Amino acid sequence: MAQPVYVLGGYQTDFARNWTKENKHIMAMIREGVVGGLEATGIDAKDVEVGHVGNFAAELYSMQGHLGAFLVDADPAFSGLPTARHEAACASGSIALLAASAEIEAGRYDLAMVVGVEQMKTVDPKTGGDYLGTAAWYEREAEGVEFPFPKLFGRLGDEYDKRFGLKDEHLAHISAVNYSNAKRNPLAQTRSWYMTEDHANANDKFNSIIGGRIKISDCSQVTDGSVAIFLASEKGAAAYAKRRGIELSKLPKILGWGHRTAPIEFTTKVAESKDNPYVLPHTRRAILDAFERAGLSGVQDVDAIETHDCFTTSEYMAIDHFGLTKPGESWKAIEDGTIELGGRTPINPSGGLIGAGHPVGATGCRQLLDAYKQVTASAGEYQVEGARKIATLNIGGSGTTSCCFVVGN
Amino acid sequence: MREIRKVVVLGANGTMGAGSAEVFAAGGCEVMLLARDAAKAQAGLESAQGMAKSATIGSLMKVGSYDADLEKSVAEADLIFEALAEDLAIKKEFFGRVTKVRQPDSIVATVSSGLSITDMAAVGDASFAKHFLGIHLFNPPNVIVGTEVIPHAGTDPKLVEPIVDMLEKRFGRVVTVCRDLPAFAGNRVGFKVLNEVAQLAEEHGVAFMDYVVGPYTGRAMPPLSTVDLVGLDVHKAIVDNVYENTKDEAHDKFALPAYVNKLIAAGHLGNKTAAKGGFYRRAKEDGKNVRYVLDPKSGEYTRETPVAPVPFIEETCKLHRVGRYREAMKIFVEAKGREADLARKVIFGYVSYALNRVGDGEVVREPRDVDRIMGFGFNWAPPTVLADVIGIKETIAQIEKCGLEVPAVLAKAPAGQPLFREANVNIGRFFSA
Repeated sequence: MAQPVYVLGGYQTDFARNWTKENKHIMAMIREGVVGGLEATGIDAKDVEVGHVGNFAAELYSMQGHLGAFLVDADPAFSGLPTARHEAACASGSIALLAASAEIEAGRYDLAMVVGVEQMKTVDPKTGGDYLGTAAWYEREAEGVEFPFPKLFGRLGDEYDKRFGLKDEHLAHISAVNYSNAKRNPLAQTRSWYMTEDHANANDKFNSIIGGRIKISDCSQVTDGSVAIFLASEKGAAAYAKRRGIELSKLPKILGWGHRTAPIEFTTKVAESKDNPYVLPHTRRAILDAFERAGLSGVQDVDAIETHDCFTTSEYMAIDHFGLTKPGESWKAIEDGTIELGGRTPINPSGGLIGAGHPVGATGCRQLLDAYKQVTASAGEYQVEGARKIATLNIGGSGTTSCCFVVGN
Repeated sequence: MREIRKVVVLGANGTMGAGSAEVFAAGGCEVMLLARDAAKAQAGLESAQGMAKSATIGSLMKVGSYDADLEKSVAEADLIFEALAEDLAIKKEFFGRVTKVRQPDSIVATVSSGLSITDMAAVGDASFAKHFLGIHLFNPPNVIVGTEVIPHAGTDPKLVEPIVDMLEKRFGRVVTVCRDLPAFAGNRVGFKVLNEVAQLAEEHGVAFMDYVVGPYTGRAMPPLSTVDLVGLDVHKAIVDNVYENTKDEAHDKFALPAYVNKLIAAGHLGNKTAAKGGFYRRAKEDGKNVRYVLDPKSGEYTRETPVAPVPFIEETCKLHRVGRYREAMKIFVEAKGREADLARKVIFGYVSYALNRVGDGEVVREPRDVDRIMGFGFNWAPPTVLADVIGIKETIAQIEKCGLEVPAVLAKAPAGQPLFREANVNIGRFFSA
């Protein structure tokens, strides 16, 4: 039996910041995340045994690789710390968490630090869109295409439309719910932006089409941000709990995880799934793996979900893939209020990628930290009352790498 | 308090009028935008749509003219929000009309930053005065969330808390409650610093002062560029008002330099008079953006050349750039030389002056109040953030070294605890490299 993995908490930077305007290097983001995380948890830097970084494309955005090494610069006590950087497009943060938790499960280390980070506002939106295209098969799906990803996730919507029918009003509702939740989140990028369901339904100069059926209001944001999280073995967690004067049983754990990778090209994915009830069966599998490992019988056992709404269509997909509805019937959970704060299974109480923001490599870590906040009743205004178990879903590429965690006591 | 559903904005064609209409509609209010004529109000509506980046926000807005629509819409309004020109005579005329027709419990607020709330409150009847207060939004209000609420002595005290609560929860504001003293808190503190820098620029030069007291000292924009942005005429109105109507330890810092008066007289008001400029004049030469800098002594503009780098400033910026803010400010504090002395004089002058505005008989009650408006109205490092990052003992020592008053807030600060207690604020955001 593998060792349990405890989540000791962490820190998120304010996703509304523009670090390029502040003339900051990506090191500043890493450092603020780490220093904030150490302060928030009361962990002594010298007790950290290993560090992992999730980051998608610092080589492109900031002309900087080897990000694991930057952890060492974040605190003098980290000199000599074993570190590594992990990349799986928008799922990079979750992959870093998986690496850290695997090491804890294997008994190698008792206390690990995971930092997800992305600095994206270093370039104009079109260049940034091109960089993001490298999360797809660049040469086949993105090269020479303006904003390739909205188009790919527009095609996900089209696939739903073809198989089951899809109304854009339902996508607009997803957007409005995420923006509305983000208003409660003091670290959300869009917390002071204007958005209503009417606006999300509008198609005019302020809400124009970016690609396919995807409008501005359907998109997640270009975001600068970092998140630090600390994971521990039972031994590490027990020492932490003792020092902090809390019961070990009160500390949340990663109860289950799932990790699957589909063919990278979108065309191959949908061809492969044409006879499957699910449009993205590998994503479905990652969710079921996590549920199974957590000993859950299904989505009814989780109190809320933090999912990957890089576009409204990806959240639409997550709704039926999590099992909140039958395949193709995601609209039912949208219409009956299931996904709203106060609903049966709220999705993205934080505001998600659309509302809270999407610093690509940090998103998986942000989701896990939000899950931690929910199950420790420390999510403030966006707290889901009585939350005990939260599921996360983090996706890289056009539904390519799927990572799911269940966090709870 | 009456629930705020219907808002009338007077002066809706101006930037503050349109911006406040956007803020109120974004919070779900029905907003009537009034101007001299409906076409001007319509321009305000369109500007509000631009700020919200949404056409549909317009569905919550109506437009009208003072002549045709003021009485009827004010009679139906829960909040009457005045954003007219900063001219007491004009405001009096409109408040005279408002007091006659408003609901007895509707709120009347002014966005004024320069006039006395008490004087304006006296224009209407007893109920008007009781329901009158200042709600000072900063420009542009859809972006800058720092907001001052200024009751006067006769404002119903029961109104203040629910109004602050509403502005924060429903309209996303970060609120500071101020006493009705000239320029309130943000502009009193902020323009003291800006004017002091303008004074120093006479001897040391414009670009040099903007470099020495630049973003690395805890602000988004250099001081004199900031004055160009707000307008030299607005700057003058604020500092003259404070100079004439207050007496405090920094009185002389509010004296507008003669060269700035000359610039204003010649129509050099800053960015809004782009061709003439202000402290700087922007130009396009061979398709490239270039800047000319004012020489305060001669009144001439010369092509901007890079300021000679000052080693301690470069070192401080380098550390800010990688998030080492405490070490950066240590260098700032320990640096030797004329530039360091000048910069510290301004910065510790700011900390001292800001925190001296806290307390009985002063502009605000708590250090938090002045922190919030400097952080979220001006985008400057709040005074207690600077004290925390530099260290409270060191901050006191530096203030004393500059021959300034040590604020009680610092003298009485408990050891080992940060003074800045605002939740969810990354202090790193205030220090640009």
